[in-house]
This record gives sequence, C-alpha cells and structure tokens, in this order.
Amino acid sequence: MKQPLTLNINGESRLLLVEPFYSLLDCLRDDASLTGSKKGCDEGDCGACTVLMDGKPVTSCLVLAHSAHGSEITTIEGLADVDGLSPVQRAFVEHGGLQCGFCIPGLIMSATGFLQDNPDPTEEDVRFAIGGNLCRCTGYSRVIDAIMAAAAEMRASA
Amino acid sequence: MTTTTQFKVLEQNHPRVDAYEKVTGRATYASDVYLPGMLACKLLPSTRNHARIVSIDTSAAAALPGVRCVITGTDFPDIRFGSGALRDRYVMPREVVNFVGEPVAAVAADDEATAQEAIDLIKVEYEDIPSVVNPLAAMGEGAASVHPDLESYEGYGFTLGHNVSTLLDADRGDVEQAFRDADVVVEDVYRSQGINQGFLEPMACVADVEPSGRLVIYASTQGPYQIRAGLAAVLEIPVSRIRVVPMELGGGFGAKLRLAFEAFPALLAMRTGRPVKLVNTREEVFTMNGPRLPVTNYIRSGVMNDGTIVAREAYTIFDVGAYLGAGPNSGIGHGIGAYRIPNFRLRSYGVYTNKIYVGSYRASGVADMTFAVESHMDHIAHQIGMDAYDLRLHNALREGDVSVSGAVVPSNGLIETLEAIKEKIDWPRQLEDGHGLGLALCEWRSGSGPSTAAISVNDDGTVSLLTGSTDISGSDTSLAAIAAEALGIPMGSVVVAKRDTDMAPYTGQSGGSRVVYSQGTAVQRAAEETVQKLIALAAERLGVPEDALGCEDGRVYVMDNEPQGLTFAQLAAASITSRGGPIIGTASLSSMPYTPVFAAQAAEVKVDRGTGQVKVLRYIQAQDVGVAINPMAVEGQLDGGVVQGIGRALTEDQQFDPDTGAVRNPSFASYLMPLAIDLPESEVVLIKVPAEDGPFGARAVAEPPGFGPPAAIANAVYDAVGVRVKQLPLSGERVLAALNGDYDDIPFDVEALRLAEGII
Repeated sequence: MKQPLTLNINGESRLLLVEPFYSLLDCLRDDASLTGSKKGCDEGDCGACTVLMDGKPVTSCLVLAHSAHGSEITTIEGLADVDGLSPVQRAFVEHGGLQCGFCIPGLIMSATGFLQDNPDPTEEDVRFAIGGNLCRCTGYSRVIDAIMAAAAEMRASA
Repeated sequence: MTTTTQFKVLEQNHPRVDAYEKVTGRATYASDVYLPGMLACKLLPSTRNHARIVSIDTSAAAALPGVRCVITGTDFPDIRFGSGALRDRYVMPREVVNFVGEPVAAVAADDEATAQEAIDLIKVEYEDIPSVVNPLAAMGEGAASVHPDLESYEGYGFTLGHNVSTLLDADRGDVEQAFRDADVVVEDVYRSQGINQGFLEPMACVADVEPSGRLVIYASTQGPYQIRAGLAAVLEIPVSRIRVVPMELGGGFGAKLRLAFEAFPALLAMRTGRPVKLVNTREEVFTMNGPRLPVTNYIRSGVMNDGTIVAREAYTIFDVGAYLGAGPNSGIGHGIGAYRIPNFRLRSYGVYTNKIYVGSYRASGVADMTFAVESHMDHIAHQIGMDAYDLRLHNALREGDVSVSGAVVPSNGLIETLEAIKEKIDWPRQLEDGHGLGLALCEWRSGSGPSTAAISVNDDGTVSLLTGSTDISGSDTSLAAIAAEALGIPMGSVVVAKRDTDMAPYTGQSGGSRVVYSQGTAVQRAAEETVQKLIALAAERLGVPEDALGCEDGRVYVMDNEPQGLTFAQLAAASITSRGGPIIGTASLSSMPYTPVFAAQAAEVKVDRGTGQVKVLRYIQAQDVGVAINPMAVEGQLDGGVVQGIGRALTEDQQFDPDTGAVRNPSFASYLMPLAIDLPESEVVLIKVPAEDGPFGARAVAEPPGFGPPAAIANAVYDAVGVRVKQLPLSGERVLAALNGDYDDIPFDVEALRLAEGII
C-alpha cells in the first residue's frame, strides 16, 4: 500500500504517496511526474537515472524511495531556470555532446555534481567522473569536451 | 581534394534542433507517455528453446485483482509475418516456441507490479522437441529442424541446405582458373561474436484506442510506417485504422526498424478499451529482441607476387537464430571489401538455430565481413612480404571500376582516406615491444529508398519542413540545414514539423545511412520547387520575367535592381490571400544511384604480455563524407561509430548457452560496452570528395566508422606481439591464450559447401 513520503525536489517540498517497494526513480517518474530521469537498465549499470541527492550524484534506480525521505533531490528538470540553461546544459548543446539524448539527463547530472566539488578537472578526471554513465551514440568525446568547457565557463564566472 | 562551393549554412556547426528539449529532460520518449487510465503490460518468456506448447493455464492470472486482460498466441489471427519476403514467425507463438525468452503470453493490469505477479501465475506445459544451437551443426543433414515446415512458408525461395533460411551469392570471372594462376593462395577462417545493439532506451510502446476504434501507437521506432504495416498484418486490420506516433528515439541502431512488441499492448488495448504501456526491462531487451548473432567467415584469396589479388572466395555463415528478424546477408557484397578483384565467388548462408532471432545493427553483417576481409589483407601482406598499407593501396577500388553489384564506381575519396591515416599515424613505424599499429579499410554505400519531403512557406518568412523520417542521430537538424541552404534562409527559419503516420508522407525507415542522403535529396528538391514557386509569384507581382529574378536571404529580388523585390513573408502572405493557399514545394523519389562511402582507419595498441589485455592508445579514422552537412553531427557520428567498433573488438560478447541457446549475459554489467575511461581521444579526418548524387554532394556517414576497429586492432595486436587472433572479441583471455600458443584454428568444412553446390 502506498505510504506518504516527503521529498524536496528541485527546491520544492513535495508530499507524495509512494509504494514501499518503489525506487526513487520510479517515484520521480510515476508519482512526481518528472520523466526527465531515464530508466535505461534499472540495475545501476547505465547511469541514465542519475540525480543529485543532497548534492551528490546517485543512480536513483538503486535508491529506495522511502529511504530518501526528507532529502533534497535535484533532477534534470531542476537545472534550467527562467533565465535559461545551466552552464553544463548549455555546453552540451553548443559542443554537440548529445545524440539520441536518452543518457543525457544522467550525464548532465553526473557532470553537475562532479563540477561542484572539482571546478578545475583534467580530461582524465572527467572521464572517471562519467565512468558510470553509458552512452552508445556519442563515443563520449564531445560529452567530455562539453564538460571541460562548462568547467572553464563556471570558473570564469565564479 | 576539397569542395570549393561556398555554403551559407552547410559545412558549419549547428546545435541540434532538439538539443534544448534533450538537455532539459523535456524530450518525450515512448516510456515517458502517461495516459489517463493507462494499464501496464508484462510478458511471459518461454523457458524452452524448442518445444510444443501443450497448454497455457491463465486462469489464476486472470483472476488476480487488478488484472484486466491476458492474451496468448491464439488470441492473434493465425498469420505468420516476417522481416522481409519470408514469413517465418508468429507475433506470439501459437503451438511451438523456438527460443528461450520468446514471449508466450502478455498481461495488462492496473500497474506493473500486479502485471508481473499475474505473469508469475501463468502455467505453461511444454513438450520438448529436439533443438540445435550451433549454426554449423545445424547445416548438417542429421541436425534437428528449427522450422520443419519451412518450405511451406510464404516467401520461402531457397532450397539449398538444411535449416538454411536464405542463401545469397555473387560471382564474377573464372574463379578456379584465377586461383590456379595465382602465385600464392591465402586461406583463413574468422569468427565474430554476438553483438547487442546497446541502445540506452529499452523497447517501449503505448497503445491506445480512439473512440472511433482507431489504434494509436506511441512508439520508440526508426520505422513508423513499418510498424503500421506490421501491426496491420498481424492484427488483420487496414493500415488506415492505425496511427503510429514516433516518439523521441533513444537509440536504435537497427534494432527498432520493424514491428517488435507493439502488437501485445495493441491487442490488450483493443480488448480492454484502455491505453496499455509496455516498457521492456533491460533483461528483456537482451533476451527477447533480436541482436546480431555470431558469424563464421571462410575467406580465400589468390594473389600475385606483386600484391595483385586475382581471386577471392568467401563463404559466410550467418546464424539467424529462430527467425529471420533481419536480412542476414547484407554482408554478401562486402566479401571483396574496397578492392578491385576480378574473379570472385561469394556465398552467404542464413542458418536457423534455436536461439533468439537475429536483428539488425548498423549495417548488419558488414562489420563481421570487414573483420574477416581486413584481417585477411594483413595475412596476405605478411605471406607475400609486402607492406600492409601498400597492399591496400595497390588493390583499392578506383573510379570506373565495377562494384560487386555491377554498378560503376563513381568519383570518391578512398585513396585520400588511406593517405590521410598514413600521414596521421606515421605509417610504417617501429614501436617498442608490445606496441603495434594496424590498419583497416571500410566500404559502404549511401542508403536509398522511398523518400518524400514537403516545404510550406509561412507568412512570417519561415518555412515548415515535413518528412516522414524519424529523427536518427540528428537527421532532423541535417534536413533543416539542407532546406535552409537550398532556400537561402538561416537554419532558425526552418521549423521541423513533429509528425506521425497520419499526416507525414510515407517514407522508408531511418536506417542504413539513408536519411540524409535520400531523404535529404528529397528535401533539397522540395526546396528547389519552393524557390521556383516563390520566383513565379514574385515575377507576376513585380511584372518582370522570372529569369530576371534572384533569390537570396529570404527574399526574391530583381537582379538588375536589387532594392526591388519581395520577401518570403510578403510572398507567402500574397499567396495565401490571392492564390488560395500557401506556397508548398514537394518532392519524392523511390531510389538513388550507387554512391559509395569509404573510410580508412588506424589503431595503435599496447598489449600486456602478462594478461593479454589490449589497450587502444590511439584510433584514427579518415572518411570521405562528400560534404559535411553539419560537421559537428558528422564528427559525432564518426566518434560514436568507432567506439561501438572498439567495443566489438575488445569487450562486447553476447554469449549463448551451448545447449539451450539462452542468452547468458543479459545485462550491462555482463555485456561490456565501452565507457569513457576505456577510450583514447577521438581523432577524425574528414575527406570531402563531393558525391555526384546526394544533397549538395553529401555522402552517407553513419555506418562505416564501426566496421574497422576489430580488424585494425587485431592487425595492431599482431604487429605488437606477433599473434593473429581470428575470433572476436580480442579479450585478454583470448589474446593471452594465443600468446601461450594455445589457440586453435576455427574448423570450417568448405568442401562440403562447394560439394553441395556442385562446384567440385
């Protein structure tokens, strides 16, 4: 039976009714109507469901929804504001760091979480930071270009 | 050689037209469709690889609260369908299952958990039938028959060989004489592994029934019209009663070209009157939807001492699994590679086995052929003591040669691609022990097929572009760029219409490197017709002859008096008010001429002699793209294709149980696709020899990048440590075994095949 669950999602406190066996990913998609986080495998292998939980990237398919009670969750829908795209989102657009786009919400969330703690990474650092995100289309190279460019832009405007 | 044409839109980077939606999470994929009252669908997989279904008891499942409908194979019309002419499968088996994982029942329930609970309550009684899993064994007369009644199936047309679904052949010249005349004969057998397409978005579909009874399918597909046709066939309803809405496509690479599982939610929606959603789990993607299956290639060449290849014989055995889910044999013409070989005998067998059916994947079969042909080229070079680059250059196809299909090879950049990689990787070069270089040459053709485009001029001076092609790898953006270039307006003035099978004109599938080349040509021609209509109207309004008018920057003007003119906006408004409607240009084509695509690739690797692990240090590709419509997208295709090829070379390996044929590694944790940490930096050279046909001289791009890595890397491993591994993937285990001398040649009885055909 569904149980009440309070989450702060993208800066907004939400009271949801969620099945006890639901993952955070299912809760976000089915109960909070936030379908930007993607279910590529539901086994923690692909990273397409990556969100920030209290500021850290997690694969939301491996987090039991109720264990996230009271947490702050940031999803891909929470990055852009009325002024436009976040620096990471903008860099993915400008550098062509996306093709089919299914893995992109997860990659952008991994990169966003990573750059918060590592503002001046090497390319090798970036490769490791997205080492849990599978992408089948891009071969990663433009994704890495985008993340490096976003880091530079964020440093310049910091 | 580079193009001298000055473009205003092409040859410049353009962000994808769908980029904003995709980076904000607002792009809507089929699994993101949530409709009121929607039910969840789950499937019951077969646990046997060849068995008669004695009974299916669905009573307990149907009685479970929340379950709305349960269907099995006999709920569908008694109609076989197929991926092509041969109709060899039911959408859901009626009497016999042919592979472990084949769906035998489907449930619609209020939610996924209930649907799964119901699935677990279904009891199936099977009676096993003898099965066969190994394709070489399956060809033996004593082997079990996968389809005992094959010859009675509609579309069956091949009689040579037991369990053979298809046999294709290509012959030229006097092969036997050429082998007798050759100075050296080189013979090899190669084997490539099962490969999963690895798209990130699982197969997904939502079926709904409109109040009128029409079926609406929200699909993850490369071929909305093919799904419509497939559903019409298996449900026995007219295509006009079905509307397919292609959603954002989360990767397909060939796996989503045709009808997959859409019929299950469709029938459940028709039975319940409610929307039904089916989203496959990753395990279901691996075990239910056709991957590429292992390929065995026998290849033999007659060579003169100067390196001229005079004869080629190739026998290719494609395992097609339980059903011919894709043309198995597209590799047939690729047995001679990118070379002028005057005498050849090429045979390509599709062989049934009791494992998951074969599917399409990025030029199905050609990567397998390229691994064999390009490894074999190095073997030839070593046998005759010739440099591997020089051998390729010496035999490379030139303009005016005749291709396997008989078409004359038009101008192309093959030689330039070879020269580019030679320079970039600095070939030949002595490296330290354990390091090596390897080459591969790749060939493909630009894809053809039905293509239609319509362009309508809006009264703000923009245009709307309508095609039936699903966006694949940025094709919408490329089509918009072609339209913008041809119309003389900026990219931002082209609106790419969202479409479905009701409103968009029929088109072929998005696959096989055909969208930009063929559909793009239709777009270019539609734009040209639009310009003609704009000029005709302007001539009438301005009172000047049409040939006195120019068209540029969204405006038609008098060439002798440039300030005098009318903008597209003015012309569109004038047409709507005085001509009774908007200006619309259209174009259609059924096929396009032969336009080859060539790429040369080079790998530099390091082999760990202690573990056999191969690390790719550098990977260089040069491809003749003709003209880069959107360079950023072109390079993105090349980057991604090569990485898929590196996965095929080193780690990806779909494994099957030797007794049951069941997929043994149905997860991303056990089927290893490359990650960012596994890869070298991308190194891409674009060669631009404009195609004689194709939009503004563009060639197809997407397929060849993935062909080269297995052979280039295998050749580099040989260069590094002196062992030739003839099986993929080049896993550490396999390379180490080869280093230890523990490596057997792959058995292949070519005599039996020649004998069956009466050749000897």
